[in-house]
This record gives sequence, structure tokens and C-alpha cells, in this order.
Amino acid sequence: MLLSFSEKQIGALLPAFLHIDKQLNISAMGPGILRHLPHVRVGMPCAEAFTIVNYDTTQFFQEGVNVQPVSLIARDSDLHLNGAAIFHEAGCLLAVRFAITEEMFADSSMDLSDFGHADPVILSTMLIVLQRAMLEESQANAIELAHERQRSAELLERTSRVAGYMAHDFNNLLSVIRLNTDRLSRQFGKDEKIGKLAEIIQEMAARGSEITQSLMTLSLQRTDTRQPLSVDQVIQDNMGILDSVVGSNITLKLNLDADGHKSVVSYSDFLNALINLLINAREAMPMGGQIALSSSVGFGLIKGDGDADADVTQSGSYIAIQIADTGVGMSDALLSRAFEPQFSSKPNGTGLGLASVRNFAVEMGGDVWLESVEGKGSTAYLHLPVARTVAPLVAAGSGAPNTGAPAVLDKQRILLVEDEPYALEALVEMLEAEGYAVTACSSGEEALIALGQDAYDVLLTDVVMPGQNGTEVARDACIVQPSMKVILMSGYVPDSAAFQPGWLFLHKPIESAKLLQLIAA
Amino acid sequence: MYGMIHRAMRQMVHEELGEEAWLALEQKLEIGPTELLTGMVYDDALTLEIVAEAAARLNLSVDQTLEAFGQYWVRFAGQGSLSSIMKFTGQNLASFIANLDRLHLAVGAAMPGARLPAFTTLESAPGHLVVEYRSDRVGMEPFVKGLLQGLMDRFHACGEIAVVHRGEKSILFDIRYQDKD
Repeated sequence: MLLSFSEKQIGALLPAFLHIDKQLNISAMGPGILRHLPHVRVGMPCAEAFTIVNYDTTQFFQEGVNVQPVSLIARDSDLHLNGAAIFHEAGCLLAVRFAITEEMFADSSMDLSDFGHADPVILSTMLIVLQRAMLEESQANAIELAHERQRSAELLERTSRVAGYMAHDFNNLLSVIRLNTDRLSRQFGKDEKIGKLAEIIQEMAARGSEITQSLMTLSLQRTDTRQPLSVDQVIQDNMGILDSVVGSNITLKLNLDADGHKSVVSYSDFLNALINLLINAREAMPMGGQIALSSSVGFGLIKGDGDADADVTQSGSYIAIQIADTGVGMSDALLSRAFEPQFSSKPNGTGLGLASVRNFAVEMGGDVWLESVEGKGSTAYLHLPVARTVAPLVAAGSGAPNTGAPAVLDKQRILLVEDEPYALEALVEMLEAEGYAVTACSSGEEALIALGQDAYDVLLTDVVMPGQNGTEVARDACIVQPSMKVILMSGYVPDSAAFQPGWLFLHKPIESAKLLQLIAA
Repeated sequence: MYGMIHRAMRQMVHEELGEEAWLALEQKLEIGPTELLTGMVYDDALTLEIVAEAAARLNLSVDQTLEAFGQYWVRFAGQGSLSSIMKFTGQNLASFIANLDRLHLAVGAAMPGARLPAFTTLESAPGHLVVEYRSDRVGMEPFVKGLLQGLMDRFHACGEIAVVHRGEKSILFDIRYQDKD
């Protein structure tokens, strides 16, 4: 014999083992049998204690040879034992183990001592039970993390809102300071000492404005002005950036023919939209190629055919920007999803680029879409409405001496709405000094009454005001007097304040010169 | 150590001092839920930082805290998601300790990277055990003593645990106990 083990050693390996002698009686058994089947005794006939599944007990032991699988059921309990029957000249060793179920872990009917040290089934069953426990814990972890993320987001949102309110209040104060310092300069600036003091105050107000700018950034607020911009000019001014976006193996060809037409856009948003469209074109040409960037003016439907917002389809003059590449093109399936947020055909794409272009275009009252031929290339069409012009009451080129704004030939009527009395007073004085006819209102409600009584060329209104806010006033004003130019001004724009395409926006603190430019634009 | 240990520590501090105390501890150590991920293995230094900070708040020494935590850990594991596997490991003090290594074998398979100790019962007689603890970690004697105390509590036993030998990587515990029931 190669190996010889004692009963105790066999019991350590197989706690539920049994040995059956030639008379078919139990001649030895492991400690597990003793623990769980106390009625089973050495010397007892095996058939009295166990049934062998699918066999007659006597026949199984008499006919069995070598090694064969065996499954036993204890007669006086529901314990099952599985393993192998090893036949030898003195009888048969039943190298069996208790059949384990997950319930046994919970009901404490057995423990690890009932299973052999090298039992792989027990290790894997324990592993399953442990992993289930870890899964439960992981679910608790996930819930905690989600709560934590929510808490962080709420804290950030609160901080951001507080920063926004603070910025609003500071911007209002700085606006009053700036506008009144302008008044001071206008009236007493000839006195060198007063002029110098006014300059210092302006400088400090400008520094204060930088601080509020940081607060605005913290509160994720827009800080850029929405104004009429010459599309061609913006493209020409940024050729360096646009060239670097497309890269050295791609030729960028320009054909700008929008003829100085302007569209009311935010400078940075427009530039971002261009960059995103160029990136999209570049990605379609990994081996290089050509991008043609062109602009023109058209008249007709601003929206593309496939746009979802057909209900807001409008016609009018528009600036058409086309970005055509000679890349791989897109399938119809890809084309139909190209503007979906978080959809990208590129492995590292965020799916935000084209979606943001679409948001921008729609927000500005325009549209963007793609056309493509597989293997030949794609063209992106960005249409933006041409900025409305107010009756030409100003003579270009004859700027006012202090501001550089054009002089007024005929009195343009401005409806001014501002709830901050000192700002209102300073604005009225400044605008009147520039030759405008100003109707001053300290609330939205007052403005609506004024709108019902008179016609105006320009509505200049603060956004955040008690009662009727500036965007509500502007919306109503556009219904009553659709040709009126709308200029909103604010140090803080709440999320609820939806701007309509074509409305101009000036960020507080107000610079007189900038305001006059917008009025005259 | 793995994150479940940190979660247990949090639960102990919650029970002893309240949730605010734990939040203050988290703030002090600049940790949060990402340091409490059950199956994640963290640097021991972080675990010890947590223990030291908890000790300061519980007004205990670090060793006393480790011992209290060892005792608490057995209760924590016995009540939570590990309760069934704790039951399966053993139904009395001697068998549980004898089977601890087998439990750790499964834990090691479920949490790769966990550094698990070994426990060997060198002597076993009714009411008396001599257990050798082996680990490449140092400074865990109070924790292990607490664990053994926690196991005595689990099996309704009372008695004394004494350290009879300290080796380079091993400690010999002499446990004399009586069943309360």
C-alpha cells in the first residue's frame, strides 16, 4: 500500500466518511456522522441507516468494483451524502460528504467542521455566500455614494446660488458707482483733481468687477454680452485658432460672403460652435483633407428640414455658415443621431460637441444640421438670423466726444426699467445727455403701463427685479411692440430667465460706452 | 485593510458617540464614502489613522480602541451581511477559532489583496485553548485580543485571555473560559 491513514486522519479529510465491511455493516465512520446522525452506530447494517440512491443497498456493495459515484440518504433524516464508493478487499470506503445548501449557512444546522479541509465545494460555496454578502454591502455603498453625490451637488448648487446673488448685488452696486462716476466725469471732469479721483473710482470699480466675475464663474453664470456681431469678422479675427483646430494635415479654405451682416450672438458661444463643427470635420479626416468654411446671406426658412422644432420655424434673413469636409462621410443612421447629447461615433468622443452647437443655434433662433455622402464627406450648415436693425436714427461715424457712440439725429425713444434708483437716475441722465428720449420706470409693472401709452424704439431693462422681472417685461413688450429692440442688463441671470433670440444682453456693471454701442447697433 | 473594517469602525463610533462624531472624524481625515467601500483594500496607514482619530474622540488610547474594536468587529460581522458565514464558521469558541483560517481562505479568494492572519489552535481542552496568531502586520495584539474576547461574548462564555508569548510574527494567546449558559 502506498499510503495508510488512520480513521482520525480520514475523518479530518472526510468528516462524513463511512466504511462498510463485507457483511454490509458499518465498520467505521467520521465525526460528522457522529454529530449529525447520532443514531447511527458502528456495527449497524448500512441498509438500516442509509438508502443508496438508484440502487438496492445489498446489490450495490456486492456488485461494486473499483471506484464509483454514490449518493446516500440517511433514513431518519433528510441528510444527503455524495461522493465515491471505493471498493477494496475488506469492504468499501464511502468517501462521501454532506450535500451542502446555502440554507445550511443560515440555519446553523452544520458548520465548517462538518466538511473536509480540502473540500473544494465548501470553499466555493463559502465564496458564493461571501460574494452575496459583499454585493449587499456594495449596494449599501452605492446608495451612500449616491447620497453623498447628491449632498455635494446640493452644496455646490447652494454655493453657486449664493455666489450668484452676491454677484448680482455687487454688480448692481458697481453699476451705480460706474454710472455715477461717468456722470461725475462728464460734469466735473474738466477739474483735474476731480477727473483724477473719478478715474481712481472707475479703476477700483473695474477691479471689483473682476472679483464679481470670479463669483459669476463660481456660480456657472454667463458673463458674456449677447450683441450683434459680424460673423465674417469673428471668423477672420480668429483664423489663428481655427487653423490650429483643424491641424497641419488639413487645409482650411475660406469663402466669406456674409457681407458684414450681423447676428445677435454671444462671442464665445459662436466661436465654440465654430470650433466644435471644425473638430467634427477634422475627426472625419484622420488622413488629412480639406475643409471649406464659407458664409453667405440668405432669405427664407431659417430651420433645416429635419429639425425637431418645426413649430418654431421662422423665415427671414439669415447668415448661412457651411463647413464642408472631404472626409469619410456618415451613414444615415449616424447622421440621424449626430446631434444627440452624449452620442458619439468616436471612441473618445463625449457626444457633447455637436449637441452644444445645436443648443447654441436654437437658442439664437437659428438651426444647425448635417448632410453627408458616405465616402465623400459631410457638410454642416449653421444658420443664424440676421440681427434686426432699428430705424436708422443715428448717423454712423459722428461719435459723441466722451463715449465714442454715434450722435443721435432724431430722438430715439428708450423705455428704461431699473429698480435701483441711483442706477436709474444715472442711466437717465447719461442717455438724455446722449440725446435719447428716456421714459424711466422703477418696476416691470410701471413699464407695462408705459408700453400701453407710448411707442418705443428700445427697451432697456434690468432682469432681476421684484414683481414682474425683466424677461417678462421684454416678452410682453415684444408682443405689444414687435419692432422694439430689447436690451437686457443684469449682474445675474437666473435659470428661469429665458431669453428670446435677437434680444441683446449686457452684463453689469454697465459701461456707458458699451451700452451706447448696443443701443446704436 | 478592507473597507468593511472601516465601515465597522464607523458603526462603532456611531453607536458610542453619534453620527456627528463620525462626520467630524471624516472631515478631519478628509475621507468619505469612497474610503468605506466594503471590498476595497486600503492602506493600513489609513485604517490606523481612523483608529487613532476614533481613539481621541472615544477618550481611549489607541490600544484600548483597537481592543474595543476587535470585540466590536465580531458583533458587527455577526449581525450584518456576514452573519450566515459567521454562523457556518463555528458553533462554539473552539470550533470557530479552529475554522478561522478556512474562513479567511474564502475571504482571501473573495477579496484579493487582503492580508489575512492565520490562527492555529495549539492546545484544546474543555475551557482552555492556546491559540497562535500569525501575521506580517505588527501592533495588532490588542485588536486580536479584542476579537477573541468578542468571540467569547458571541458564544456566551466568560474568562481570561492572556498573552503567553510574543514572537517576531506570532503571538500566543492563552484562553481560559467557562460557558455562561
